[in-house]
Amino acid sequence: MATKESGDARAQLALSSSASQSKEVPENPNYALRCTLVGHTEAVSSVKFSPNGEWLASSSADRLIIIWGAYDGKYEKTLYGHNLEISDVAWSSDSSRLVSASDDKTLKLWDVRSGKCLKTLKGHSNYVFCCNFNPPSNLIISGSFDETVKIWEVKTGKCLKTLSAHSDPVSAVHFNCSGSLIVSGSYDGLCRIWDAASGQCLKTLVDDDNPPVSFVRFSPNGKYILTATLDNTLKLWDYSRGRCLKTYTGHKNEKYCIFANFSVTGGKWIVSGSEDNLVYIWNLQTKEIVQKLQGHTDVVISAACHPTENLIASAALENDKTIKLWISNH
Amino acid sequence: MEGDGSDPEPPDAGEDSKSENGENAPIYCICRKPDINCFMIGCDNCNEWFHGDCIRITEKMAKAIREWYCRECREKDPKLEIRYRHKKSRERDGNERDGSEPRDEGGGRKRPVPDPDLQRRAGSGTGVGAMLARGSASPHKSSPQPLVATPSQHHQQQQQIKRSARMCGECEACRRTEDCGHCDFCRDMKKFGGPNKIRQKCRLRQCQLRARESYKYFPSSLSPVTPSESLPRPRRPLPSQQQPQPSQKLGRLREDEGAVASSAVKEPPEATATPEPLSDEDLPLDPDLYQDFCAGAFDDHGLPWMSDTEESPFLDPALRKRAVKVKHVKRREKKSEKKKEERYKRHRQKQKHKDKWKHPERADAKDPASLPQCLGPGCVRPAQPSSKYCSDDCGMKLAANRIYEILPQRIQQWQQSPCIAEEHGKKLLERIRREQQSARTRLQEMERRFHELEAIILRAKQQAVREDEESNEGDSDDTDLQIFCVSCGHPINPRVALRHMERCYAKYESQTSFGSMYPTRIEGATRLFCDVYNPQSKTYCKRLQVLCPEHSRDPKVPADEVCGCPLVRDVFELTGDFCRLPKRQCNRHYCWEKLRRAEVDLERVRVWYKLDELFEQERNVRTAMTNRAGLLALMLHQTIQHDPLTTDLRSSADR
Repeated sequence: MATKESGDARAQLALSSSASQSKEVPENPNYALRCTLVGHTEAVSSVKFSPNGEWLASSSADRLIIIWGAYDGKYEKTLYGHNLEISDVAWSSDSSRLVSASDDKTLKLWDVRSGKCLKTLKGHSNYVFCCNFNPPSNLIISGSFDETVKIWEVKTGKCLKTLSAHSDPVSAVHFNCSGSLIVSGSYDGLCRIWDAASGQCLKTLVDDDNPPVSFVRFSPNGKYILTATLDNTLKLWDYSRGRCLKTYTGHKNEKYCIFANFSVTGGKWIVSGSEDNLVYIWNLQTKEIVQKLQGHTDVVISAACHPTENLIASAALENDKTIKLWISNH
Repeated sequence: MEGDGSDPEPPDAGEDSKSENGENAPIYCICRKPDINCFMIGCDNCNEWFHGDCIRITEKMAKAIREWYCRECREKDPKLEIRYRHKKSRERDGNERDGSEPRDEGGGRKRPVPDPDLQRRAGSGTGVGAMLARGSASPHKSSPQPLVATPSQHHQQQQQIKRSARMCGECEACRRTEDCGHCDFCRDMKKFGGPNKIRQKCRLRQCQLRARESYKYFPSSLSPVTPSESLPRPRRPLPSQQQPQPSQKLGRLREDEGAVASSAVKEPPEATATPEPLSDEDLPLDPDLYQDFCAGAFDDHGLPWMSDTEESPFLDPALRKRAVKVKHVKRREKKSEKKKEERYKRHRQKQKHKDKWKHPERADAKDPASLPQCLGPGCVRPAQPSSKYCSDDCGMKLAANRIYEILPQRIQQWQQSPCIAEEHGKKLLERIRREQQSARTRLQEMERRFHELEAIILRAKQQAVREDEESNEGDSDDTDLQIFCVSCGHPINPRVALRHMERCYAKYESQTSFGSMYPTRIEGATRLFCDVYNPQSKTYCKRLQVLCPEHSRDPKVPADEVCGCPLVRDVFELTGDFCRLPKRQCNRHYCWEKLRRAEVDLERVRVWYKLDELFEQERNVRTAMTNRAGLLALMLHQTIQHDPLTTDLRSSADR
């Protein structure tokens, strides 16, 4: 039985042949494939680790959310309830609740332990595309194809605010670490920052060109924003100055809204999926590709980083339907 | 018939067709002038053109006319009547005529110069016969169309498809004339029985280029979709509907829109190339959809060879980049439209499949030869119409085989590596057990105190009454001050203040209820909650029994009953003595038994709550542990470990 994927060996070779860096920071995160989780019957749309690191939630076009053990990859349970494909799933901070966004225009709030749907949030008039909790987990934010961003209260399930955020489907929404700011990205090429309390738009990030923004996210310290656009680019912005600091390229992203993440458990990396079936890992500072993880047979739509371990979970679309867990041997 | 221009040479023998003019310019109308720069109307019988001014018909009036015959023709043949159009049918006729006639690439209706290339008039036979032929071709709702179409008339017809801010007038959706009746917008319309709150055009008629995004997408829970609309694929590919928008905003991409429209027009004929016998049940409203469904009726969308995802990246970025790279995009669009077609076919099949399952009672007119074979092991019979098997037995056999084959190796796979969730569960259970133990000891402690208290109270009752001077006068200096009752606010004598407040409080408190639906059922607890049933609210009173003001009245104190409260020195040290005052008089130890009992009871209740919580937690953990690795869980999911030696992904620090 192979202990390492051949693709990884190739990646290592590629790395050693490229220019090496002489820093204490590990040059190569050296992720290797550890588990493949099979179970979804259609394309997987999103994978997320729970904040306490125990579980991995995956949502799929087969209308199911499956919870897996994060450390061993074993199946735990399935959450049923949605009528149409699910586009995104997010954990609450205490890892006891999940919110899922679906094409049936609703979001559902789940209690993970019992597997029951606690609330169904209705209000969007088109597919709900992305969702997130705020750090205190009393609010849920959702972006939808109806070009609005809605803020919901968890306790009552009511929509507190609707932000007419964009003129095209909203592809990503995220709270910053304190919960005071919201960033939203959309196909209209704009990335907007909102004040969570009042719903006012504080800033709009524009660059020279404005290709559709497929993903946005705050950095863990809340100072930077990572945006992915459908011209094969990832950019790191200092949003207070409105300047793009770093650009990461080399992957392929022109069609799907692929998740990107900061990996901070080992070295500082940017991790993203790609449409050429690889998971790309860049060095955050030098912008070089440090590793490409091979193993999927379809577009890698989502890549998530474990909060404490050097674990990456990646999920691919309908030709593949699996989730792969990669571990680094630091 | 109306038109701005006219043919250069009237082919038929019109009344004045022979142009004897020196310049060879054709002459028209009753005025016999070659002037064609004004509005003209043509007779459907003799095909002569007349100036609107000369016969006093304005352009506006002419719009309402469907068939027009000149005065002479009408006089000659009394059967010929001027026919007018119905308001709605005017538009529809315009649309349909566009579909059936070849498009004229020329300009608009303002062009007075007739198009010499137009051969339609030549192609037509005699007036009446051709008209009838045309009439039969069009739907029976509208009256037969005018015979000849001149370029200008055609333009006018073209214009009857609106070009507005939200309609390009050229795409499939704009050319639709009928509402589907099944989409959410149609169902909202009055004519389909809706409340008319949404007030939008039929989903299938939302312009592909110009309509708002949110109006275009077709909810997949409803009827089938036309090829021109798309559902976002699982996990958000850029839907191809997006791409036309940027181009439209720039406005310089008319040729692209044309390319899309023309290729869209081409697609349905392609789909009709593979007809298959299909039952009537699946016949949708739109013949296009029917043909699409025919083309791929039994496809299994899970098979890899059906997937065209590797090709689809060409599709959407090409269209999406329309705004930027005009030239490249045009070439690819034809191919991409085809890919779009296939994808939508599959999506529609999925929905059709779903619809089929929802209506199993529909009769199936398939013949056995075309039914697939039953999937049962060793079975060669055809499957039932809406099933994969010929009978239940076959299905069960196959399922059993599957389990025998697959389950053992899955179990082995599961046991290959330790389940970390199980370990956590076990640790949790340990902790819960320990906490339950401690809770129980506390409970025992409480019980002991309870009994102790009862003993004390009993002993106290047996004391003899003795009037003491000291305790009586302790409060006398307070009699001048006025105390206000906390509950009712009245001023009261301090000496009776305590009793009054007690009773006052009880009075107010007894007006509110505090209860739950379930009676207390704890074994081993003697007296905790009041549990008196309130029939109005159907609840059991959940106050402490000893304290409940609603349901237990303080018993009347007999004159000779002694207070009996154990006396203390410095608050905590028991002296061993008891208060000897008569209960009625003792103000210092008013209701001391009740309060002490309540104290103990409260502690006990708290411990019971804690135990309850722990029971709940234990139940949850046990359920999770028992439900793990069930049959379905193992059969439906699989975790492939690539490195059997190190299956635990935690770093060693955490273990």
